Amino acid sequence: MSAAFIECLDVGKVYDGRTGSVEALRGVSLACAEGEFVCLLGLSGCGKSTLLQMIGGLEAPSSGQIVVAGRELSGPSPATAIVFQDHGLFPWMTVAQNVAFNMKARGVGAKERRARVAEMLALTGLSGFATRYPHELSGGMRQRVGIARALTTKPRALLMDEPFGALDAQTRARLQHELLEIWAAQRTTVLFVTHSIDEAVFLADRILVFTPRPGQLAAEVTVDLPRPRTPRSPGFAALAARLRGLLGTEEGSE
Amino acid sequence: MVASPLGRLAGLLPLIGLIVAWQAAVMAQIYPPVLLPAPHKVANAFALYGGDILHNTLASLSRVAIGIGLAFVVGVPMGLLIGRFAWLDRLCDWSIQTFRSVPPISLIPMAMLFFGIGDTPAIVLIFLAGLWPLLLNTIFGVRTIERTLLKVAAAAGASEALILRDIVWPAALPSIFTGLRLAVGGGWLTVVTAEMIAVKSGLGYMILNAQMTFRPELIFAGIVVIGAIGLLADFSVQRLRRFACSWQEGLMVQGR
Ligand SMILES: Nc1ncnc2c1ncn2[C@@H]1O[C@H](COP(=O)(O)OP(=O)(O)OP(=O)(O)O)[C@@H](O)[C@H]1O
Ligand SMILES: [Mg+2]
Repeated sequence: MSAAFIECLDVGKVYDGRTGSVEALRGVSLACAEGEFVCLLGLSGCGKSTLLQMIGGLEAPSSGQIVVAGRELSGPSPATAIVFQDHGLFPWMTVAQNVAFNMKARGVGAKERRARVAEMLALTGLSGFATRYPHELSGGMRQRVGIARALTTKPRALLMDEPFGALDAQTRARLQHELLEIWAAQRTTVLFVTHSIDEAVFLADRILVFTPRPGQLAAEVTVDLPRPRTPRSPGFAALAARLRGLLGTEEGSE
Repeated sequence: MVASPLGRLAGLLPLIGLIVAWQAAVMAQIYPPVLLPAPHKVANAFALYGGDILHNTLASLSRVAIGIGLAFVVGVPMGLLIGRFAWLDRLCDWSIQTFRSVPPISLIPMAMLFFGIGDTPAIVLIFLAGLWPLLLNTIFGVRTIERTLLKVAAAAGASEALILRDIVWPAALPSIFTGLRLAVGGGWLTVVTAEMIAVKSGLGYMILNAQMTFRPELIFAGIVVIGAIGLLADFSVQRLRRFACSWQEGLMVQGR
């Protein structure tokens, strides 16, 4: 791998709220190579979403700098796309319109939009649902729509904020598999926020462990287990136990 | 729970009860007939003065349509912008709160001084009656947009025009319909009052004229028409909302 595709240099974030200021992140430095699948693992409130939003260009860091695709960020980069935890689908748009939105925002023509929407719906297994509204879909399908929308602009990095957090175990497992397939096929970089140790071990090339108050990068763990992994893969349990120790939760966080 | 069509008709029961009580009051001769005409006399008035009633109804309706139409065209875009841009809100908030507290009726004398007697003062007053509810509800609607949706737009690099058209406007639409409902109701109240003073046609004028020419049944007929149209207008706005916000079905507790 050449130079890092996403790089954070001593990034800090302080929120000034009505109840005083909150230091959400302090001194985070990380680098993420192109094509890598990196999980940001941490308990609630340790600043994972904050970091992802800053990398997505939605929030400016209070200190330090963030470089994406060789440029210091000053707003959302066209090289990234975000998948939100609460899916962020427009309830008044059909599935097809939702998926087309990011392209519309970029000024992609209607004809190309239609073709690409069809392609992405097929990729995410949503072909029969183009004219449905989000409220007519299951939670898992909504996340697929969010992923399809993010992929339409061929982002070089996909920023995912606990996309499967609200799903039941089976749906979650299925979407994790599908995400790995998509990742393998599209060769995008993935930055994936989760508070589930198993999810991180299942998905990641590398896991960045965050601890709270203030949010800090506590450890970096490379996962060199062969894919496909299952919780019964050799080494899986040992790694999960190590991560539990790093998070400081003996009972786990599922 | 969706009431059956027959169940919906239960809403007519109190109205029927009122007519029965009215008939009873007439038969008991509580008031002399010049004050309280019998229901059938009022029904008869529709045959007697049908053309008159129709003409005046159309006059009132067209004023409300124009006044509320103008209020919509002005209030909704203004509300979308004020709701979207905090600096615009800071600029306008105090003025809005000041002017919306003035009942349009209290402006009748001034409207007559400026615009004389006729359609213009009435339409101006209806416009004002409709403007504030539309404006305030539009602003409120914009404020209630889910933050994530605006983040999606920002992350996608959407232009402000696209955000207003594809996100802010549809997100605010249910609330805009609430405003429209209030505006139509307020406009309808205002037109009748304005017509009693500043215009020489319309239902308000007709009622006042009927009073001065001792035709109580026409007064009552006018009141019936006003009420019926109020009900119908409300019904139409609700219908329109259900059509325009069909995506909302299934998001709401009740399918009404
Ligand atoms: N817009 C904001 N204004 C003020 N404080 C904020 C804001 N967003 C986040 N915070 C604070 O920053 C800290 C980190 O929040 P963040 O949402 O990044 O955590 P997280 O790791 O994503 O948690 P979770 O797993 O619950 O999503 C929290 O203490 C939170 O209260
Ligand atoms: Mg979060």
